[in-house]
Amino acid sequence: MKSTADKLVDDYLQRLERELAGFPRARRRELVEEISLHIAEARAQLETENEAAIRTLLDRLGDPADIAAEAGGRAETAARPRGSGWDVVALILLLIGGVIVPVIGWLVGVLILWASATWTTAEKLVGTLVVPFGLALPAFLITIGVSAHGESCSGGPGGPTICTHEGHLAPLLTTIVTVALILASIGSVVFLARRRSQTVGLT
Amino acid sequence: MVAQQDALLAQMRRGTLQYCVLSLLADEERYGFDLVRGLAEMDGMVTSEGTIYPLLSRLRRDGLVESTWQESPSGPPRRYYHLTTAGRAALEAFRLEWRRFRDAVDHFVERKAGS
Repeated sequence: MKSTADKLVDDYLQRLERELAGFPRARRRELVEEISLHIAEARAQLETENEAAIRTLLDRLGDPADIAAEAGGRAETAARPRGSGWDVVALILLLIGGVIVPVIGWLVGVLILWASATWTTAEKLVGTLVVPFGLALPAFLITIGVSAHGESCSGGPGGPTICTHEGHLAPLLTTIVTVALILASIGSVVFLARRRSQTVGLT
Repeated sequence: MVAQQDALLAQMRRGTLQYCVLSLLADEERYGFDLVRGLAEMDGMVTSEGTIYPLLSRLRRDGLVESTWQESPSGPPRRYYHLTTAGRAALEAFRLEWRRFRDAVDHFVERKAGS
């Protein structure tokens, strides 16, 4: 049988656990552990343990929501990077830098991306590897697709079936790959922009 | 006006509390409960004791304090906190700034009529 005191303490710790639900597990565990040790020490020092004494003790500790707010608010704002204008430059260059100045424009975007404190390493990898060279890659495919088509079909005086391999296969395949690359390229930049507004916007 | 003043006081308390924690650890290591009660003894410093623990956790993650588990003569083991070199430096820097700030404010606020 649990005493009323134990039940009050359990309720309090459960409320604390719920309030901290959004935190990483290690931090949640550390805080709940520290607070329950505090309660144990405080209880050991009580002359007589009754419901009123436990309630007073828990009141002094404060509302679990306040503890969670203290754990969240300031820690997050302190650790949260401030987004700079360079972030926007990075995103633009990742998307169209390679189109403006082939390869180099995109590479500059990648450098700025990796120098930024706004994104995590995983997010930076997404920005770099999902579509290397950004829109320049599908743009390049369109250019060679057009030229390949033109070359193979133009030199066919013996019949219309001369432009076989690239001429017929390439248009459909190239179109699918190109559209996919354009979507993925825009998608990854939109993803990075969203992540940025999520992390920066809360300060 | 009163609400505004309350908010200001709360912010000042929050801003300085971590240095009070570092000061309490300057001479000896302390475990959480001991530290919290040490702070709560001063009237007006701590309103909810529980909020000290997130602060301690942050100080630890910032490398200003470190903690070690030690057996307690009674009850479960305790987590003792002590200052790191960085913590000591942060406290020293704050002390200097605080003295200057306090003296400057005192100079105006505590000025006696006619002097």
